Amino acid sequence: MLFYALSRASFNRNLQYRASHLLHNVASALFGFIYLSIWTGIGETKDLGIYGLSGLVSYVALNQCLLWVTSFTSNGLGIPQLVRTGAIATELARPVHLFYQLMCREWGQIAYQAMYKSLPMYIVYLFAVPLRLPALPAAAASAAAVVCAAYLSICVHYLIGAAALWTTESSWFQWLNYAFSTLLSGFLIPIEWLPGWLGWISRWSFYPSLSYIPSRIYLGYDGIAAIYPSLIWSVVLTFACLAVTGFMRRRVEVQGG
Amino acid sequence: MNRAEWSRFMTMYRILIRSSFRSRMQYTFNFWVGTAAAAIINAVEFALLAVVLHRFGTIQGWSIAESGYLYAVITLSKAMYRSFASDVHHLEKYLVSGDLDGLLLRPAPVLLILMTQNFSPRFGETLLGASMLAISLGAIFEDDPAIWTAIPLTVLAIASGAVLMFGIGLLTASSGFWLTRIDALQVLTEDAARTAAQYPLTIYPGWLQGLLTGLIPVAFINYMPALYIIRGTHGAWTLGLSVAVSGVMLLLSLKLWKFGLSRYQSTGS
Repeated sequence: MLFYALSRASFNRNLQYRASHLLHNVASALFGFIYLSIWTGIGETKDLGIYGLSGLVSYVALNQCLLWVTSFTSNGLGIPQLVRTGAIATELARPVHLFYQLMCREWGQIAYQAMYKSLPMYIVYLFAVPLRLPALPAAAASAAAVVCAAYLSICVHYLIGAAALWTTESSWFQWLNYAFSTLLSGFLIPIEWLPGWLGWISRWSFYPSLSYIPSRIYLGYDGIAAIYPSLIWSVVLTFACLAVTGFMRRRVEVQGG
Repeated sequence: MNRAEWSRFMTMYRILIRSSFRSRMQYTFNFWVGTAAAAIINAVEFALLAVVLHRFGTIQGWSIAESGYLYAVITLSKAMYRSFASDVHHLEKYLVSGDLDGLLLRPAPVLLILMTQNFSPRFGETLLGASMLAISLGAIFEDDPAIWTAIPLTVLAIASGAVLMFGIGLLTASSGFWLTRIDALQVLTEDAARTAAQYPLTIYPGWLQGLLTGLIPVAFINYMPALYIIRGTHGAWTLGLSVAVSGVMLLLSLKLWKFGLSRYQSTGS
């Protein structure tokens, strides 16, 4: 019930800014066209392996749509702002676990972004790129992978937000995470094309769960079994979030506005 | 603006920058964390391009060294712009909170104050950009003495690019006097356009090339000068035109800023 109330409140709050978010969609779609142009430019003369040009542009276009669900989570889930104002003390004192309540709110935000950002862009790309349509089982499996990706992103942002209790520069972690995600998640380049050690780091990180795994399943290159690493990482990061909350409750130092 | 006024503003700018820097350095550790993070972010961003080039050799005939040059020039231009005019990019914060009212009361031009707020020298990006530039130029020219002509021309292109980025940034920020919320517009005019300019312009379809040379002319930051400086496929006019576009953009943005400021209404929040 609490989950529903908090996520619905977050969803409704975002509805107020639909017009302003339309411009975000234009900017995001433009970013997508830039990335697509890169691959189109390369694909004209080079072999793009199992993907082929049409497979790779579908892959990149889909990743661009998914960004709003799997990567553009609220900065630190709003924790840095809570630390700055001192409100974190109240939030930690509530009879609901901090991770749970922030996660509930974020699911509302993600649902809004999926509906008003990812979906319109997906429809545009379906016709403009064109982005391939999946088979029904692949669609269901990739939807599950996307839910895992969104959850992982919530966990990572929670950990980044928690860093605000110890440094005023936690926003840099946010940017670092985004930069590494762009490179290691397979967002622009499928991870099997990353050179040796970079590919190794990527495969042993949670990043492929954000883009590579859901998109490969969607396009039919992998089956539902590819989701296992995402599930394992979800469990690991959940424990990390719970452990960090324990540290946060031990000693709270706020910036006082 | 006469000479005495200009000199007064420059002195004021120096004083404000110095005090802003001093206040930032009260948090020395955080400052260096931020500097290192900025360098890492840019290195990772370039790694993305390098991985593509590493696998496929060239992009539309542009080698890794030439693409590195494009990336280095735009990185250094951005570092220069954001170092010397940091909070122009963050005008929305002042508009939404009403903090701009306080700046209007100060006995100095608002733009000058804004440029010196939260001064953040981009050491990390500068170091990374300069290293990449040195490596790229070294690889492009090898033992060719033409490198000694390319270096000063590149410095000119970087400075001109910084002015152009400042112009684009200020034009976007000025629209905030009417729109208040400009973050999405900034993503479009600054982030997306800059990302596009990291790659050779010829990879884009015609409409996008038109956009990047006309409406948001980021192609004049690095691509156009590079055609002359490192590729030699076009004449010196590409560099001259780039400087001219920067000058026009600067004048346009200053005009719009002045006009926008005269129409400013506080949000009162």
